[in-house]
Order: sequence, then C-alpha cells, then structure tokens
Amino acid sequence: MDLQIRNLSKTYANGVHALNNVTLTIPRGMFGLLGPNGAGKSTLMRILATLQEPDEGSIRLGDGSSGTGEVIDVVRQKERVRETLGYLPQEFGVYPNVSAERLLEHFAVLKGIIDRRERREIVDALLRQTNLYDVRKKKLGGYSGGMRQRFGVAVALLGDPRLIIVDEPTAGLDPAERVRFLNLLSGLGDNTVVILSTHIVEDVSELCNRMAIIDRGKILLEAEPQRAVAELRGRIWRRIIPRTDLESVEREHAVISTKLLGGRTVVHVYSDVPPGAGFDSVEADLEDVYFSTMAGHFGRPSQQPVLEVAS
Amino acid sequence: MKFLEVFRFELAYQSRRVSTWLFFVVLLAITFHLSREAFIEKAHRGGYFFNSSTLISEITVLTSLMALLVSATLAGDAAARDVQTRMHPLIYTTPVGTSAYLGGRFLAAFVLNALILVAVPIALLLATLLPVPAPEVIGPFRPEAYLGAYFFVAVPNAFAASALVFSLAALSRRAMASYLGAVLVFFATVLSWLTVAEQMGRWGLAKLIDPMGLTVLVELSRSWTPFEKSTRLIGLEGSLLWNRFVWFGVAVCVLALTHMRFRFAHHTARGWWGRRERPNEGSLMQPDAAEQAASARRAPVAVPRVRRAFGTATQLRQMLAIAWESFRDIIRSWGGLVLACLTVLLVITGPQIAKHLDIPLFPTTEQFTGFLSQSQDLFFMVVPLLIVFYAGELVWREREAGLSEIADAAPVRDWIPFVGKFLGLSLVLVVLQVLMIAAAMTTQALMGYYEFELGLYARVLLGIQLGNFLLLAVLAVVVHVIADQKYVGHMIALVAFGFMTFAPAFGIENNLFVYGSDPGWSYSDLSGFGASLAPLVWFKLYWAGWALLLAVAAKLLWVRGKEREGRSRLRHARRRFTRPIAGAAVTAGGLILSLGGFVFYNTNVLNEYRTPADWAKQRADYEKRYGKYDGIPQPTIAATNLRVEIHPTQRAADLRGTYRLVNRTAAAIDSVHVVTDANVDTRALGFDRPATCVLADSVFGHRIFVLDKRLEPGDSLQLTFDVRFARRGFPNRGIDESVVPNGTFFTAQDWLPGIGYQKSRELNNAGDRRANGLAPRPAFRSLDDVAARWDVKGAERVMVDAIVGTDDGQVAVGPGALRRVWKDNGRQYFHYATDAPIRNEYAFYSAAYAVHEARWKDVAIQIVYHPGHGWNVDRMARSVQASLEEFSKRFGPYPYREIRLVEHVGEGISLHAPPINISYQEGFSLLNSNEDPRDVDFAFAVVAHEVAHQWWGDQVTPARVEGAALLSESLAWYSAMSVVERTYGAKHLERFLGILREAYLTPQSRAGVPLLQASDWFMAYRKGPFAMYALREYVGNTQVTTALRRLFEQHRSATPPLATSLDLYRELQLVTPDSLRYLLSDLFESNTYWQVATTQASAEQVEAGKWRVTLDVKARKVVVDTIGVEKEVSMNDLVEIGAFGPPKDGGPGEPLYLRMHRVHSGEQRITVMVTGKPARAGLDPRNLLIDVNGDDNLQEVTLSAMKSAADTGAAPKRR
Repeated sequence: MDLQIRNLSKTYANGVHALNNVTLTIPRGMFGLLGPNGAGKSTLMRILATLQEPDEGSIRLGDGSSGTGEVIDVVRQKERVRETLGYLPQEFGVYPNVSAERLLEHFAVLKGIIDRRERREIVDALLRQTNLYDVRKKKLGGYSGGMRQRFGVAVALLGDPRLIIVDEPTAGLDPAERVRFLNLLSGLGDNTVVILSTHIVEDVSELCNRMAIIDRGKILLEAEPQRAVAELRGRIWRRIIPRTDLESVEREHAVISTKLLGGRTVVHVYSDVPPGAGFDSVEADLEDVYFSTMAGHFGRPSQQPVLEVAS
Repeated sequence: MKFLEVFRFELAYQSRRVSTWLFFVVLLAITFHLSREAFIEKAHRGGYFFNSSTLISEITVLTSLMALLVSATLAGDAAARDVQTRMHPLIYTTPVGTSAYLGGRFLAAFVLNALILVAVPIALLLATLLPVPAPEVIGPFRPEAYLGAYFFVAVPNAFAASALVFSLAALSRRAMASYLGAVLVFFATVLSWLTVAEQMGRWGLAKLIDPMGLTVLVELSRSWTPFEKSTRLIGLEGSLLWNRFVWFGVAVCVLALTHMRFRFAHHTARGWWGRRERPNEGSLMQPDAAEQAASARRAPVAVPRVRRAFGTATQLRQMLAIAWESFRDIIRSWGGLVLACLTVLLVITGPQIAKHLDIPLFPTTEQFTGFLSQSQDLFFMVVPLLIVFYAGELVWREREAGLSEIADAAPVRDWIPFVGKFLGLSLVLVVLQVLMIAAAMTTQALMGYYEFELGLYARVLLGIQLGNFLLLAVLAVVVHVIADQKYVGHMIALVAFGFMTFAPAFGIENNLFVYGSDPGWSYSDLSGFGASLAPLVWFKLYWAGWALLLAVAAKLLWVRGKEREGRSRLRHARRRFTRPIAGAAVTAGGLILSLGGFVFYNTNVLNEYRTPADWAKQRADYEKRYGKYDGIPQPTIAATNLRVEIHPTQRAADLRGTYRLVNRTAAAIDSVHVVTDANVDTRALGFDRPATCVLADSVFGHRIFVLDKRLEPGDSLQLTFDVRFARRGFPNRGIDESVVPNGTFFTAQDWLPGIGYQKSRELNNAGDRRANGLAPRPAFRSLDDVAARWDVKGAERVMVDAIVGTDDGQVAVGPGALRRVWKDNGRQYFHYATDAPIRNEYAFYSAAYAVHEARWKDVAIQIVYHPGHGWNVDRMARSVQASLEEFSKRFGPYPYREIRLVEHVGEGISLHAPPINISYQEGFSLLNSNEDPRDVDFAFAVVAHEVAHQWWGDQVTPARVEGAALLSESLAWYSAMSVVERTYGAKHLERFLGILREAYLTPQSRAGVPLLQASDWFMAYRKGPFAMYALREYVGNTQVTTALRRLFEQHRSATPPLATSLDLYRELQLVTPDSLRYLLSDLFESNTYWQVATTQASAEQVEAGKWRVTLDVKARKVVVDTIGVEKEVSMNDLVEIGAFGPPKDGGPGEPLYLRMHRVHSGEQRITVMVTGKPARAGLDPRNLLIDVNGDDNLQEVTLSAMKSAADTGAAPKRR
C-alpha cells in the first residue's frame, strides 16, 4: 500500500500558490508532514482526503505489495478512495444533540458497514479504544474538546481504512491526551498509510518513520527522521548570549533558532566547520533539522525519479 | 441501504426537535380557530357546505402558505446542517454518494413536512365535530374532499416548496437561504394571484405560475355556483392538473440540478468579489522564511502604549461603532439586495399604482404615500419579515460566528450592543424609506409629473411609517434577546406580528391592547391629515412607552457570557437593575399609564367604545324594540328650513331649523315618532302645537310624541330642532372627519331628525341577523310586494331653504340655487334655496374651493373643486352640457336652474348623485384620460351617468324592491351611452363598451336572478346596460327612447305607487314588435346567457367586388337559475351577422355587411354575399347578446381561390 503524489499544484482564486509541484512517495506506516502555518499542509491533506481537487498533478493509491494490485486515482475516483479512507480534519463540529454512539453508528452505515451485528461490534470496539465507552450515550454537545477529538478519531478509524489522513491532531490536546492519541495512532495496522500533518516536531520524531518538510507549497525535504538527524550530526552548535549580541551573531553566523532559557538567549547555529569561540557542539535533533531546512541550509528536495509506474 | 440510513437518521433527528412538534400544534390550532371563526361563516353566507371540497381545499392552500415556514426550517436544516455545524468534513469523506445523501435528506424533510400538514384535515374534522350555531352548514362528511385537498393541494405544495428551499440551502450551504426561498415562493404565489390575475386580468398565466395553486382555487371559488361548490369535487383536472404538473416538473428539475451541481468538497469561501481580486493584491506569499524569522527577532517586543478612556464619550462611540457594523452587515447581505429589489420594483410598477380600472391617473404624491404606507398589499409584508429576520441575525451574530466569548469579555457596557444593534437596524429602515421616496419620485418624474411634495413624503414615510417600523423593530429585537434560540425567537416574533396584523379577526378591537396599533390615519389633498394625526401621535407615544419598557427588559435579560439558562439570566437581571435602569423603567411605566390613561379617556369616556359586534347588537335591539312601529301612518317632510353654522377649525357644526310635516296618509295621526342620530347632540325638539313626549329613549334616540289634537289628513305641523355636531377627543375606531378645517362634507339626513321608525337601521347581513336572533329577511323586498310601492320613504319631495355659514375664505355648498352671499361678523354666509321640490337627500360642503362656471340654456353649471385638481374640470363641464342637452330632449326637462359637481374628501373614485349637487371624491379628479392608450374619455362618460341620475333616481325614484337598480343604475349607464355616442361617435362608444365588457373577464358565477329582479353590482352596472343597448340595436333607438319617456312622464313626481322594473318592462313591451318579444323576455325575464361562436370563416370572390362569405357557427342559449343550474333552451333567434374590411388606424375595419339572421341551436353554416373584400367575419360581432366569452364571435376570413365559371355561372375575371 503506498501513495504516489506527482507534480501536485494548486492555486487559490486569490492568487495564493498553496501547492507548488509537490512530489512525494508515501509508503505504508506513519508519514509525518511538517511545516509552518500556511505552508499548504491542510490543502494537501484535503486534496488527499478528496475534499479538494488539484490544478495539476496526480495522486495514485496503490495496493502494490499485497492485495489486488489495484491502483486508485485519488482525484478521479473519489468514491473508491472514500471507501477506504479515514480523515480526521484539523477542525470539525458535530451534531450537538445526538449521542456519540448513535452518530458513530450512522457513520458506520455510511461507510458501508451494513451488517448490524458487525456494526455494533466495531462501534463498541472503537468507543472503547478511544476511551469514550462510558460516555457513549451522552450528547455530543456536552463533550469537551479532547473528547470530541477522540470521537473524530473513532469516525476516522471506522471500517479499517487503508489510508488515514490526520491533520494537526494534537494541537488542542493536553499532554496526557496527546500521549494517548499518539499511542492510539502507533497501534494502527501495518498495511495502512497514515499521513500525519503537524507543526509539532515531537509528534513526528516520536511516531513517524518517514517525513517531509513543506513550506510555501514546496517540499523542502523528504527523508527518514533518524537519517536526517544523523546527517546533521556535528553541524549544530550552541551558544548562550545576551540579547543585545543577537544581531551581531546573526550577521556572522548561520543562526537557525533562538530560544530563551532562564531569561538568556540560546542560539543554535548551523555550520559545517566549528564556528569559533563560545560555541558548543550539540546533539542535533529533529527540531534542528526542521529549522535548518527552513533556513535553507539543509534540505534535499525529493530525489525520487519521476517515473511513471506502468501498471 | 445508505439512502435508507440517511433518511431514517434525518427523520429521527428532525422529529426530536421541539420546533417540529411546535409547528404541528400551531398549525392545528390556527386551522381550527380560522375554521370556526371565519370559514364556517363564509360557507354559510355563500350558501354551501363547510364540508365541501372547495372550502376544504381553500383552507388547505392557505395553510400551505403558512406551512412554507415549516418547509424552510425542515428542508433548510436538512440541507445545510452539516456545513453549519462544520461536520461536513467527516460526512463528505465517507463513501455515501450524492444520491443517497441528498435524496435521503430531502425525502426525510419532505415526509416530515407532509406529516405535519396532516394537522390541517385533523383540525378541520375537529372543527366540524364541535357544535356550531347552524349545524346544517357543515354538510355531509366526504372523505374524498379531505383526501383530495390533502393529496392534490397540500402534498404537492409541500413537495415543490421543500424541493426549492432544499436546493437553495444545499447549493448555498446556508440554512438561511431556505427562508429566502420560502419568502420567494410566498410572494410568487400572492403576486400571481393579486397582480397577474386580479389586476392584470391574465388568469390563465397566473394559474400556471402560481406555485401553491392559490389562483386556481380562487378562480374556482369565484366561478362555481353555490350548488357546484357544495357538490363538486376538486380533482386533478383542468387548471389544477396543469399547475401541479408544471410545478412538479419545476421541483424535479431543481432537484436534479442540485444533484448535478452538488459536490462533496471543501468550500473555499469566496465573496461576491473574490473572483475579481487581482493576484498580486491578494497574495499571501510570505517573505522568505529566514528573512521572516530574522525580522521577527528584530522586531521590537514592546508595542506602543495607547490611551484608553471609558467615559460616556467612549460608550457613545462604541454604540455608534456597533450600529454602523450592524448596518453594514445587513446592507451587504441579502437584506441590501432586497432593498434594492424593492426600489427597482417600485419604479417598474409605479405606473400601475396610479391607475384605476386601467385608466391612468395623475401621479400625485398622495397616491404614492398611500400605496407605500397603507396598502395591505403583500408588497409590504416584506419589510416586517425583513425586520424580524434581521433582528434575529443581529442579536445572534456573535454567538453564531463563535465570537461571543471574545465580544462578551470586552469592556462594553451591557446596554451598548442592544442599543447599537437596534440603531443599526433602524438605519437600514431609514435608508429603505429614503429609497422608497426616491423611487416614487422617479416614477412621478418618468410620468411627467413634477409636484413632488417632499414634506408629505417625509411626514408619511419618514414619520408615520418609519415609526411603525421602529416599534416593530424594538419588539423583534427584544423577542430575540429574550428567546433562547434563534428559531424560537423567529416563531414568536412572527406570531406576534400576525397577531398585530390580524387582531380584529381574533376579536380584539381595542387599539390599546394590540402592540403598535392606532385608530388609522387618512390624508387627502383636500383636507390634509384632517384631524387624524393627533390621535395617531398619542397612540404611538403610548406604544413608545411600551417599547421603552420592552427595551428595559431586554437590557436586563441580555445574554452575556455562557450562562443561558433561565435562572442565571434572572440572577443577572437582578444584578443589573441599577438606578438608571429603574429610572428608565419607571419612566416607561409612567408614559404608559399617563398616555394610556389619556387615550382611554378619549376612546372610552369621551366617546363610546364599540366593537362592530356591539354596533350590530345595538341595531338588532333597535329593530326588536321599535320594529313594531314600522309602517304606521306618519307625516312626511314637505319643507325644511335650515340655518347651518359650520365651524371648520373647531370641527363642529350647528344645524337649527324646522320641518313642515304634512299628513299625506288617509288616516289621522295622533303620535309622531322622531328619531335622532347617535353622532350628534339633538336639543330642543319641539312642535308648534301641544304635544307630550311619552317616550324618550336616549340610548336609541327614539322619541314618541303624542299630539293633543290629532293631525288630520292633509294637515301640517312644524317641528323645530337644534342639532349640534362636535367631536370630543377621539374614538378607538378613528375620528369622524365630517367637519374638518378644509373639506367639510356631511349629508344632512345623517344628522337631522328622522320621522317614523327608521328601517335603514336594521341589519341587512344574514349572518349578523342570525347571530343577534333576528328572523332572516331577504336583502330586497320582492317585486310582487305591492305594499312596498306605496312606501315613499326616501322618495319624498321637499323644498329646502338653507342659510349656511362658514369661515371666511371657504365656499359652502348647499341644495338648490344660490340666492345670496354675504359676510357677517367675520364669517361668510350663503343662502341656498330650491326652486322646485327635490328628493329629500342633500349634503353640505365647505372648503377653500375654486369654482368653474359654465352654462347650458338657462341652467348654471358649476364645478366646485379643490384648487390644484382642475385637470378634468373642462371635460366635466362639457359632459354636463352634452348630457343636459341629450336628456332633456329625450326624456323630459331638467326641473332646476342649477347643477353642480362638488369635490369632496376621499381617495376613491366613486360619485354620488343626489338632486342638483353631484358629489365626487378627489380620486375622480385625478383621472388622466389623455394618457389612456385605449382612447376613451371615461371621465366624460361617468359624469354623463351621474347627470342621468337626475332623471333616473332623483326624479323617477323607484320603489325599494328588487330590480330597483335596473331603473336607476342600468338606465343611467344606458343614457350615458347615448351622450358618449353623440359627442364622440359610434366608434368611441364601441371602445367604451369594450372597457365595460371587461367585467365579464373576472371569474364569477353566472347564477343569478333575472334582470327584472336585479340586485347586485354586476347586474345593475353591466348586464342591465348591455341588455338595454342590445334592445336598442334590435328594436330601434327611437322606440326605446319613447318607452323611457313615457316611463319618465308617469313617474317623475314620485307619487305612489312608485315605479318598479315591471313598469319599465311594460313600456318596453309596448314598443317591441312581436317578432322580438322573445328577446325582450330573454333579456329581462330570465337569466339568459348566450354562447355563440364562429368556428370558421372563409370567403371566395364571386365577381368583381362581391364575395361570398361562408361562416361555420355554433350557438346555444342557456338559462341559469339562482343556484347555478343551467338549462338549455332551444334557440331560433335573430342574431347579427357581420363582415368587416381590413383594420385601419388601429381600430376595427369598416363594416361591409351587418344584418340580422335567424340562428338556431347547434352548429350551422351561414352564407352571405358581401360587397368588398372581408378580413374578419362572424356571428354577433358587436357582442349584443349577453355572452360571457365574446372573443370567439369574430374570425379571420380565409380567402379561397375563385371558383370556376362552371360553378358560378359567370365569367371569371383573369388577374
């Protein structure tokens, strides 16, 4: 099972280039899409979820390794995609005066689970899995934000989808809820493509075995997180400076991030060679990868050959 | 399966909403109430069963209109709820499929709608089961009637409405669009009935474009006889079938369109102008990320400090800011579009407003202000609906946008959003009124009229009507503040508005109890606002007090924060009850009590408070108590001497005078009954001989005096009286405008004492009589009632001598010749006296008139008119001259030496012709016949009609029995016809008759009595004159004139026995030859309708200049009885056959052949020889025979080739 995105472009009516010639190959497993706000993540998610159409490009969902060998054109065969799709949007609402159980059942039927007994089973199972079983008979209007999010997860997981698209899921969750959510995601089946779009770097580092960084509609990096971090080893340097020195440091070095620690400024600098006095070498992490890529020092745009797979 | 699930889920979801059940209950209650209050009575009056298919269907279609709100709520929610709750990303990404999704949702909404509509037949059944005063009205229960109404009317209406609003909501993704759709359907229905059908006369078109089928049912209701209404079933046939077919098709097409265009896609919000934005303008391209990060770090962390103030000035600014925001919000949404549409619509339909019977009027400002403010047209229900709707939108705006928490936590006082939003809404209303004024002025200018009376526009539209709108706006906003849900608020506000509009129908008459109501106001060019403005202002101030109280309540209960339950709101309210608020509440209460008390004092203490039901009871009681005195010998008035002092500015008048009463009966009279009017103060009643007052009933104004010495036959006595009319304060019903600063007009007989039992006070309406326990009585006495011919009540002849005094600068008009004019003590006096006896009806007028003088022989003609309304004065004078000339030659002399037309207050067009002084309402002076595209001088004809009444009605006064109208109205129109013909020619008369004939186009039942018993408008004003005209054409003008002259000479003095239609008939018989007696009988003795038509007309040239015309015709004659049963009678009548040349100058062609032929019933072929090439030919081309469908009499002639010589026997001419 994999998703081949080729030369995807989309421009909005007001002239914004949301996606600019995006090419990605997303295999089974967790794929993280990292990028700042306005990068085009949500647009890409919505296109993959069949809610929007690109101006150019193609998206193929293939069942290559095991299974029928069927390839679905996501743009043109929306109905087929929806049969095996689970989508958790960035923001959504629910009918306030229906119970979670009833609405989940409704969605189950809409997703094609016709058999009543099976439906009951899967609804119960999902409600337990998302820890909503105790409140399943309560009206959704009374749910908290986190509970509503979990309900959305339950809906997304209905029908054992092969393509799961999750858009900024942990943004509004408290730490405990976030951990629970990530655990839930990590327990998903092997034969599923899960695309997680987020601007929280930890989500990707904890969960994903492949990732891409996107900014202003362009893919800046496509790699495996660990490899990217490894590549950056020895090139990230740290120094604590007073705030007034920031400008001069920026002029002289390639500052990739600035943080505050107890009132003092901590800068991370990218440099192939030791930058000089006062700088310590630090263990690079994914955040540094992100900032480096964003700053333009690091990044290998997708090197996948643009081959059309004849199938 | 998915379809079923979507359907079931939606059905369950919507059925659980409170509003769904509320709809059912409210619909049930309203239908039940309407049936019992209004429709049972309607059936009774109409003479058919309540359980009839017609009435049930009518009620069903009315409730369908009300149920449009139901359709909008259910279907709109079904279509747009997912987007509104933002659950659509979840739903759209399931493999549900457009058909299942849309189909299931729509079907659920429609099924629920249809189920709610079951409330209507249930309510109707309940209404019939409970006891009624006249149980025979209900009629037998026929399930077909109920089922037919439900399945042919209610369900298709629900389908069409649901389909339309569902599509609108689904495609626009807003539930609000469904309400807009409902309003559009509502207006399409009402407009197609009121405008396309009633006003423009295009019934066929209207029946098709009416989505709810209302026009179809209205037509059926009009044209079916009572018998048909009781028995016939309304089925899917004819117009109804076509209408259902068309609208079912439209609904299906719309649904298909929706299905095609609907996408399960994310909707990128693009305003109207989104497409127009240029790329670089809207570019949200962020600068280079590194640059951005760097610049972010360099940006100063500190923001500039600003001063914040929280005093009164800030609060005012905040309030104005909110007001402006609210205003912009409404204008930039659908509301602005509606305003623009209304304006454009007004400009387009403007000329239609200034029209009467299709005759253009001068577009005076008063007509437009009247239309825009008083019209009950649905055109103006738009604005109240808009107010209610936007009040809700404004109040809920923050909560619906999710912005309420931020807004509520801002440092804005509680009252500011409330007042600000109200002000915003008010500003919209002001803009609307200004646009209306501008549109009206544009229309006037386009029609070439430039007397814009801006002051009048301002006072009416920006003063009175804006005040009404503002009161409604306060109510709507307050309702929405207090109600917990927007839809509940809408429902309450609409019900309140309905109550306000239809309160009298619910039995609530007192204007103190219906929010925003007032006793009405009137404006006319002649009298201005008269006295009606002051009471209006008092009432409005009173209601402003209530509005203030409501505003206080709203402020206290304003929702701020997240706590919405009742208890928390009451807690907040208590905490908000500060001193200023208490002060405002006390002020409001004070205003209410003081103003309310003042109004109450005026309406209930200074004047009597009476509902129409009270008045009816009073009249019934009078009949019960004094009816026994009907017909006892009483003296009649022979002469009246009056001294009238009119005080226009004080709105009072004094009438002092004496009657000379003569005993014209054969018996001696020992007691005289004197009846005085309730509206005046009659003092000092006294006789010139000893008499004792044995009964003085002040409640009914009936006094009985016993004479000490009996009054012998032929003897006379004098009655002196002193009558004072003075208005004190104002009553609930609206002020009596008889005496006003300019435009005084009152009929003397209304106020002066009457002699004997006043039969005119009796109730005529059968329903009222029943409700008050009186025996039923026919509207008119039978033609065979001989005693009625000896009842001279209303036909007495009197001599009148009156001195009228009025303010300096005004002209007073009274009966008879003007003998003298003088000034005394700053007042102007006129002495009027009749030279010859007149019928005892006359009026007095006083205003700053202008007078136009003319003459005919020795008769002085005066047109007394309001300066500024002089457009038609010349025309009217000419008509009087021509009419006097014609009538004195034909019938007999005009007995007086003056004749006047006097203008008086009133926007209508009616005229009235008492002796000598013909009165006409202001509206008549506005007729602009020059602009009439049909080129008919209608005003001329109408004046001739009124002058004719001086002969037919004022001299020949018919007995008050059936058929009296034939002698007065029909003969008046018939006489006017000859004046028109003599002045303008036969072609003009034909055009004029064509206008009169348009009355046939309005659907009506042909059931009726013969003309001799004519009693309704159609018989008297249309069928009668046409019958006389037909007779004239068949028998001869001179012969008919001879008959009329003899009738006139016999009855001009109105000595009993009075004339009846039988006398006319006898005279007509004497002049009608035997061969045409059948026609006379058909026209007058039976209710005959002909149905003649020419199916085909062809002609072939026989020789040079001669053509043989062959006509295929069919003819039929029916007699229709009073319940509408038609009986065909065999026909062997003389009917005119005509052939005409080609039309020229826009008019019909020259008549080439016009002769009578014998035509029998059925189809036949008629051949005639015609000189000249015929273009059109046919049977009864001039529509002499009474035929409802007159268009099929003439056909285009198809010319065929010449026949060969062998056929015709003549040598054909080679071309």
